[in-house]
Amino acid sequence: MLRITGGQVYDPANNVHGVVRDLCIENGRVVADVSGGRTIDASGMIVFPGGVDVHTHVAGAALNFARGMIPEQQRMARAITRSKVQRAGIGGSTPTTFATGYLYAGLGYTTVNEAAVPILSARHTHEELHDTPILDKSCCALMANNELLLDLFEAGEFEKAREVTAWLIYAAKAYGVKAVNPGGVTGWKWGKDCKGLHDVVPGYNKVTPGKIISALAKIVDDLGLPHPLHLHCNNLGAPGNFTTTLETMKLLEGNRAHMAHLQYHSYGGDDWYTMKSESATIAEYFNAHPNLTTDAGAVLFGDTVTITADGPWQHLLYKLTGKKWGNIDVENETGCGVVPYVYKEKNLVNAVQWAVGLELLLLINDPWRVFLTTDHPNGAAFWRYPEIIQLLMSSEFRKEELKKLAPKAMKRIILPELTREYTLSEIAIITSAGPARALGLKQKGHLGIGADADVAIFNAGKDVARMFSYPRYVIKSGEVVIEEGEIRKTVDGKGFLVKPHYDPKIEDYIRPLFQQVYTMSFDNYPVEMSRIMHPDIQPCMPHNL
Amino acid sequence: MGGKVSCTLGEVKNRADLIIYWGGNPAECHPRHFTKYTIMQKGKYVPNGRKDRTMVLVDIRETPSAKAADIFLQVRPTKDFEVITLLRAMIKDQPVDEAAVAETGLSLEQLRDLVARMKACKFGVFFFGMGLSMTRGKHMNSAALLTLAAEMNAFTKFVAMPMRGHGNVTGGDVILRYTTGYPFGISLSRGYPRFNPGEFSTIDLLIRGDCDAALILGADPGATMPQPAIEHLKRIPTIVLDPKVTHTSRLARVHITTAATGISAGGTVYRMDEIPLPLRPPLKGPYPTDEEVIRRIREAVAKKADWMPGMNGVVAAA
Amino acid sequence: MELTVTKNATCTFCGCVCDDIELHSDGVRITHTKAACVLGTAWFKNHTVEKLFPDALIDGKPATVDEAVHFAAELLHAADMPLLYGLSNITCEATREAASLAELIGGVIDSHTSL
Repeated sequence: MLRITGGQVYDPANNVHGVVRDLCIENGRVVADVSGGRTIDASGMIVFPGGVDVHTHVAGAALNFARGMIPEQQRMARAITRSKVQRAGIGGSTPTTFATGYLYAGLGYTTVNEAAVPILSARHTHEELHDTPILDKSCCALMANNELLLDLFEAGEFEKAREVTAWLIYAAKAYGVKAVNPGGVTGWKWGKDCKGLHDVVPGYNKVTPGKIISALAKIVDDLGLPHPLHLHCNNLGAPGNFTTTLETMKLLEGNRAHMAHLQYHSYGGDDWYTMKSESATIAEYFNAHPNLTTDAGAVLFGDTVTITADGPWQHLLYKLTGKKWGNIDVENETGCGVVPYVYKEKNLVNAVQWAVGLELLLLINDPWRVFLTTDHPNGAAFWRYPEIIQLLMSSEFRKEELKKLAPKAMKRIILPELTREYTLSEIAIITSAGPARALGLKQKGHLGIGADADVAIFNAGKDVARMFSYPRYVIKSGEVVIEEGEIRKTVDGKGFLVKPHYDPKIEDYIRPLFQQVYTMSFDNYPVEMSRIMHPDIQPCMPHNL
Repeated sequence: MGGKVSCTLGEVKNRADLIIYWGGNPAECHPRHFTKYTIMQKGKYVPNGRKDRTMVLVDIRETPSAKAADIFLQVRPTKDFEVITLLRAMIKDQPVDEAAVAETGLSLEQLRDLVARMKACKFGVFFFGMGLSMTRGKHMNSAALLTLAAEMNAFTKFVAMPMRGHGNVTGGDVILRYTTGYPFGISLSRGYPRFNPGEFSTIDLLIRGDCDAALILGADPGATMPQPAIEHLKRIPTIVLDPKVTHTSRLARVHITTAATGISAGGTVYRMDEIPLPLRPPLKGPYPTDEEVIRRIREAVAKKADWMPGMNGVVAAA
Repeated sequence: MELTVTKNATCTFCGCVCDDIELHSDGVRITHTKAACVLGTAWFKNHTVEKLFPDALIDGKPATVDEAVHFAAELLHAADMPLLYGLSNITCEATREAASLAELIGGVIDSHTSL
């Protein structure tokens, strides 16, 4: 039992904005009242629902590939020293699993969505998530280049594709469906790409990215998954790609979709020399279409490593940077590329990227539909989120930071014109309440009766970056895990997944095809439920039933 | 430069029309590699199987794998790095010194033919074995070949993959990467992971006599390592966990017999392309698993006083 | 003797890690394999559940697992720089335990990869 008293509570989902009230916790849930137990005096502090990250890369083959590729960054990374309650590890751009749990909790975050899981190696992802303490986890399985599905789209067999999708989601013990560069990664298997929505996917006659996106968005809605199609658009990172993004959003009318890391998809210009922000155009369309949610995928200056299933983009980045390049094509399903990267203030392209992330957060007027992310570790490591919060809450601070850019960059961006400043309530929305709602996790992102008792308590203060970097207390499932900036206790997290409805006979269709094109035994492919720590199957609500 | 451009084995099965084995002998060391993953398979985009594929073997001697190859290139021992470097120049149409070519044991014609095939293929792959990665040049050879594969992507699709030997050597790398951030050779002597091959790699530690106890898990260094390393294992308290009493067990202070992986011990192992696979042990044996024994040792150590300063007091009161 | 058939078993002998092996066993040994190569077949058939080795040895003399575990813990605890080496023939689950143990004893952990 726990009572948090005297704090200013921010619980925007329940329309509570900075009201001083007690928060009571029992058996891991928020309750109306408790008698006895510990009391935390939160006077002079603000109380937030635990943070929820809608899009991050914290576990699995691609990230783990990156960890091995950058020892020179790893040795400079923050050391996490073993203690009685915590395992050793390192921070940096690609923190180790245990460190990931501590560092996220150290920001007041308690739930994360791993955004890219190849089904073939989903067992690996879950193995890492198992060793990521404190946090509740969900993950999205990569589907938009899955050739079992593409073959069905080619044949026009939509119903069967839906059944196969449902089977695959459960085989991966996933929570949602991720689409990365639909068709483009399949093209990459031949060293090609698929930039336009109407380009035919290499190896196919009829399938186009547009068709894949429409079909998957509809399948996800038909299956009633709690989280909409999680989409990484075609043509990521390229100057002028905002037209692809607009077209994609138009295609999605009538369905729900989450547009991942929109920053990387909102560029104008014709080439690297003329690249500029088109965040205003994107935000205008986005504001008018409530079927969509998005996350910023904001960029911060400094060292990082880029990791994405978007193989062709990573090859381009390797050619641009001349740095290391890692690539793993995953049979019949997806790919992945890894390229270490440094975002520099004086680099015009990087300056535009930095500005666009912030512009989108400021121009999208409904905080319930745009969430704070850096597409960790692509734009910056997640533990730098407080720097972004500071930029959002202070236009003065933005002005100071803008001075560091090359003067030429000013003509390419609109950030200097934007004066909006986020309120604490809005920060609570973009870091917790909004992403929880977009993920369809009803017990997360709020502090109403019955909610999971995940709470972050910060010192109220003017130095916003500092305040959000060092929560005074973090409570996970009712247990105080962080106190005075230290991990005091670690708890296990839950694993959220879904079991959408499918006819078990679909296995008879999948099995022979699988045996032809895969190298693993079909019966060894699905991830065993016993590998998920504290599994929590969330309900699907099929729209058509 | 650096990194690794690779794929899972099914990509090779479905697509590869040029398969180059370098310094490896799959016919004897990975017998099903040909039939399950590479040349003999009929793939989605190579429907005629063997007929649709060209296999090249590069090695210092004509192993039984040469019989399976369309082209066998016999490199002079210790000249692999030179051959790879020449190929890197030639794919970019850079001039090469004929004397340098002659030293490798291959002719310019052979190299030109190989370059032409590499550029003309739709999907090329290098599989490299210990004949490349464990001979003169070692990781420099592997790095050069990985770079050549990466650079080939300017012309066509090309990947490279090491032919990992022991069953779960890949799994060891994977687990250490996500728990410590590094793949092998990790010191936790400061309470957090540090990586420095040469300083923290086993042979170096043993030969210098740096470590003062050893726990050997499913390996037999007493049979395979250089004599000075074995001598040090004899000097210090060595503990062995193994399904059999090994050479190392005989020089150890402690041996514990454990269940054999995949036979009477279950769990997970990783394939050479980092795909995790479940074990289905058919037998129930009389011995505990490695997992269980290591856990029990850890629990027994945890009851003793901690070596780290400040760790033996009560955790700060809540 | 109870005969059992295990399908889709995984062979850990080499890095191919084939997972399409069929194993027939009589409860004591593997009597027949399907799909395994010559190395895999030898590996599978070479193991039995008979007790061919002592549970444990301390200084060459038979001991119980419990005694050996505690003695091993003592030796590792007393060491300033213990080394954990191998990992290639044990499961990932065992390696996870090994990583945790290496941390606790402040040791070095290394695998065949460093050779």
